[in-house]
Amino acid sequence: MNAPDRNLHVKAPGVSELARIVRVNEEIKAIVSTAFRINLMALNAIFLAKRAGNAALGFGVLSNELRRFAQELTRHMATLRDMTSGSVGSVTGVVQQQRTSAILAEAIRLSGDGVPGVREARRRGATRLAEQQACLRSLDLRLRSAVEETQQLVELGGVLARSAKIEAAYGGTFSPALMQVSTDFAEVIAQIKRSLEVLGKERLVKD
Amino acid sequence: MKQAHCIYQEDDHRWFAIARDASKPGYIIDTNEYVVVNGDEALLCDPGGIEIFPAVFSALSAECDPTRLAGIFSSHQDPDIISSLALWLEFKPDLKCYTSWLWQSFLPHFGGQDSTFIPIPDPGMTIRLGGLELQAIPAHYLHSSGNFHLYDPKAKILFSGDVGAALLPADHNGLFVEDFSRHIRHAEAFHKRWMGSDRAKRDWCERVSRMEIDMLVPQHGAIYQGGDVQRFINWFAALEVGVLRG
Ligand SMILES: [Fe+2]
Ligand SMILES: [Fe+2]
Repeated sequence: MNAPDRNLHVKAPGVSELARIVRVNEEIKAIVSTAFRINLMALNAIFLAKRAGNAALGFGVLSNELRRFAQELTRHMATLRDMTSGSVGSVTGVVQQQRTSAILAEAIRLSGDGVPGVREARRRGATRLAEQQACLRSLDLRLRSAVEETQQLVELGGVLARSAKIEAAYGGTFSPALMQVSTDFAEVIAQIKRSLEVLGKERLVKD
Repeated sequence: MKQAHCIYQEDDHRWFAIARDASKPGYIIDTNEYVVVNGDEALLCDPGGIEIFPAVFSALSAECDPTRLAGIFSSHQDPDIISSLALWLEFKPDLKCYTSWLWQSFLPHFGGQDSTFIPIPDPGMTIRLGGLELQAIPAHYLHSSGNFHLYDPKAKILFSGDVGAALLPADHNGLFVEDFSRHIRHAEAFHKRWMGSDRAKRDWCERVSRMEIDMLVPQHGAIYQGGDVQRFINWFAALEVGVLRG
């Protein structure tokens, strides 16, 4: 057997799992920073509505709602982030176990099935791998349902942004400024929606 | 492919050398692993790196029942010595690993848990294998700061870790040193660069000269036997070590 060939035999699978976790984390980080921007935008909108006074009463109510939405979104993202940082440990366990099992399998292939103890070793490895994968799978499910919940929240954010646009039209002389703010809102929310869609498609484990 | 060669046998007391792996990738340093078998128990000396585990495991299994492995002796903490630890534990979770107390909390980075390690104190200790008493002989700073060799007084074999190592060209594939002066050329640069302490070296040479040794078995290169053992000790005693170049 030549050297490169032997290397292929013991090459560890599962490196892509870690890459996936990194992608999920990056996506979450992007949403977190956007959520932070929404927070600031909502604060600005509240001040603007105060200055507009009676002309922008409806807009003022909506901007308060938008701020509450932004705070809620930040909380959701913190939960998602906790989940993924915990999953790095689980993924590392799976990757390690896969590598160990692959090398052990190669050793068993070279020495033959008749060697005492190898069957037990293989079974132990398989059990541990199955446990770790099950753990990762349940984490994946929790992550997916958390993403779905966040998506629903963002739907509500979209509705608020649309209503803000309508209210902006009644803002009198402040109308163009209010319109600008509500358009920015709508754009940022659309951006978060896109990120969540990407996130919703990511899987920590292959099906 | 690696094979286990019996280098000593008396009744059910045997030493195997798992030496030279022509099929391993060239970028990995070649290593020798040794197995001491006494009756129903076996001890593996410096089991080697992760990459070569399949080759070592199959060579060992061909000669002895791997479930009889009672322990691993790790001369020091290098990856070519002990990075395969997790794999041996995967095979046998209750395996014990003897190593310098200095590395007791470092080796778990390769695998194992608290109960896996039996720390060897600086002056050394006796390691029992069935009725056989093996001695962990201090070889600190040669080259690792917590370093032990393993002496079998019955077989008169000294496993010397990196001491005696030679980085041999592919065509020097004999198990034993055949021509000392030709062989030692391949050991010189290694000992000069890897061995850091002249004082530790002199102390080791002095102690080891007084021991009865038929075979000095290193972790890299060929085995010294008979007159070559003392020849090596004399050569090492005279060698300037801890030098960067020259
Ligand atoms: Fe070393
Ligand atoms: Fe070494």
